[in-house]
Amino acid sequence: MTYKIEEIDNRRIVHLDGEIDMEVSDKARNTILPLIEAGHEVHLNLSKVEYMDSSGISVLIESKKLSEQKKTKFELVEVSKPVEKVLSMARKFL
Amino acid sequence: MSAIAHQDHNEKKAFLVNSSSLKEVRIFCRQVFEKLQIQEDLKDELVLAIAEAAQNIVKHAFKNAADPNELMVVQISCENNKLQIAFYDRGTPVDPKKIKHREIDNIKPGGLGTFFIQEIMDAVEFKDGKKPWINHLVLTKQL
Repeated sequence: MTYKIEEIDNRRIVHLDGEIDMEVSDKARNTILPLIEAGHEVHLNLSKVEYMDSSGISVLIESKKLSEQKKTKFELVEVSKPVEKVLSMARKFL
Repeated sequence: MSAIAHQDHNEKKAFLVNSSSLKEVRIFCRQVFEKLQIQEDLKDELVLAIAEAAQNIVKHAFKNAADPNELMVVQISCENNKLQIAFYDRGTPVDPKKIKHREIDNIKPGGLGTFFIQEIMDAVEFKDGKKPWINHLVLTKQL
């Protein structure tokens, strides 16, 4: 997994790509959570993510919860087909 | 249920018990499912279920601290259009009664992997592990 962060005012647009599984979920977590912790709005672009499992979904849940605590915004701006599929399964659960 | 009659097949592979192996597990599964001509959407779901089960071995049966040479085996077999995926490991014995996904109103990470496995597969069964194995998980799906 690799990432790129765009900065526009207080917004941080985080682009992740590759595969997000247990091995790299900490890298994703350590990329996103500090931005939210610092009070930035985080817009997550997952359009180039080829695979995501429950570890990746956990990072999204943690990010959303932290953004609520910090009263900032965390949202998905674009998702790939594989991610959408996993999200749709996860939504049945959440 | 699939309209295709999938050929009978049996293949297994051993992997080191660590998170770096999860990608290899996915590649192995995809290769086997290619041979079985399983359609793309179902293939993605099956790969996810298998990867989640393998992840549970790394994370729970070995608490992310397996011996560097420790192995787990994934066996995929198909007979009469019934797909069976077996996992063998020598981690902490699993108590099936304690395996459950979290409550639906408890919005926090964790437990999703087990939910995915149950959603995707027809049956999830822990059998007695025969020596040298301790845990023997079997996932089944009618194709």
